[in-house]
Amino acid sequence: MPDTEWPRYEVFKQDRPGRPHEAVGTIHAPDPEMALLNARDVFVRRPECYNLWVVPQDQVLTMTRMEMELNPNWADEAIPEDAPMRTFYVFTRQHHRRSMVAATHVGEIQARHHREALRKALESGRFTDKPVYLWMIVPADAVTSSGEEDVEPMFAPAQDKRYRDQSYYGGLIFDKNALKRREREMG
Amino acid sequence: MSTFPSTPTTRPLPNVGLPTDPDYEQRLAEFEARIEDGEKIEPGDWMPYEYWRQLVRMISQHAHSEVVGMLPEGAWIPRSPSLRRKLILIAKVQDEAGHGQYLYHAAESLGVDRDTLIHQLLEGKAKYSSVFNYPTLTWADVAMIGWLVDGAAIKNQTMLAHCSYGPYSRAMVRICAEETFHYKQGKEAVTLYAQGTPRQRRWAQDALNRWWWPALMMFGPHDKDSPNSPALMRWKIKTKSNDTLRQEFVNEIVPELLAVGLQIPDPELRYDEETGNWHIGPIDWDEFWQVLQGNGLMNKARMEARRRAHEEGLWVREAAEAYARRRMARSGPEKMAA
Repeated sequence: MPDTEWPRYEVFKQDRPGRPHEAVGTIHAPDPEMALLNARDVFVRRPECYNLWVVPQDQVLTMTRMEMELNPNWADEAIPEDAPMRTFYVFTRQHHRRSMVAATHVGEIQARHHREALRKALESGRFTDKPVYLWMIVPADAVTSSGEEDVEPMFAPAQDKRYRDQSYYGGLIFDKNALKRREREMG
Repeated sequence: MSTFPSTPTTRPLPNVGLPTDPDYEQRLAEFEARIEDGEKIEPGDWMPYEYWRQLVRMISQHAHSEVVGMLPEGAWIPRSPSLRRKLILIAKVQDEAGHGQYLYHAAESLGVDRDTLIHQLLEGKAKYSSVFNYPTLTWADVAMIGWLVDGAAIKNQTMLAHCSYGPYSRAMVRICAEETFHYKQGKEAVTLYAQGTPRQRRWAQDALNRWWWPALMMFGPHDKDSPNSPALMRWKIKTKSNDTLRQEFVNEIVPELLAVGLQIPDPELRYDEETGNWHIGPIDWDEFWQVLQGNGLMNKARMEARRRAHEEGLWVREAAEAYARRRMARSGPEKMAA
């Protein structure tokens, strides 16, 4: 690869066990392993992370309600006869509130291709209790995931660094003695 | 590249509408109705060319500012007065690197590639916040930057978090959540100095004397001199004007600075009982434009530092690519296990 862009990966972060993964943004990396490391450096400088997924961006179908309205034939895609059925993760955004998250994992669907997965997701009615403004369709087999064994080395260090948290500075700003004590704390 | 023409001749992306398109007026009306309703515009949605152009300009300048902003503070990491201060400063600078990444990616969502953005900066063609072209002369400067400069940035970014363009809004929300500690650690450090020994008090006052006006200039030219603002406000890219934000910032920070015993370096500063506003004296806009055009004290040094970092980091990028190629050759182009 010449000294230009590296492939882009979508990053999905699970804050705690049992919580759904959330689409938080993208990073560039030359391979999936570096993608996990870069994703950690860019998106996990604050403690909340239990698991990270990275997926090449060209493997993720992102579509807005507006795009579907503008292109009514969006679902028409020639799919080869022998294409196997695969699992696709479904992510949606169902509000326009200020948020740092683009979409949230709401379930999965079986299909032979991204657009078929989105069409089936729509038709199933499982995900449209409220209007969906943004869909992301992610093939399970394109996901590179951090492991259980990575929680300690990759994500735990952020938890000790309380000085990154703005509440660490609260209230003591004008208490000179408390300030001096804190300065001596760490040398 | 902050040089996309205001009158387009080519369509930058399929979903960007040109004024010459037959359905432009209708699409524009629908677009403006969406924004009025508080809807977020996402990559792939129809948007008018001027909206696209303004966002590319703003987001790329914001991204470059984060990256250049690492430099005045980075110089003090090896010279921090204590381990605690060093850890805090490293964390702050790491944040700024990450913020630059969020913003470059938001710019890329508009179809601009990273290579173009990086070379624009390295070739000295990029605009970035002029405040980073001033030197950090003492540790008190590092403290003052946290309080004043990050404080001003937070005012601006809190407003931009309401932006109508989804990726920029999301980047702002994430940045705001992380930036508050930058401001608080700065306020804490300045307070310690301002209420410390006579020499520390002199350093704190000296830092304020040199950073006050550059911080105020961060809010941009006066509204009447700001040609981009009407479009930005109409399409909720910005939701408050430069002067409004600047006045809010001054009203909040002047009492705080006075409370720790510092003086504002503005002989015309006065409090207006009726409006509750602190009135500031005239800003030296000549200095602002000179610095923005590359004649500030540190413009050249900032660019040299950036270029050196890019050149000296080449071996890391090459090694990462070689490693990726070797793994792909061994295990085939399917997904590799981490």
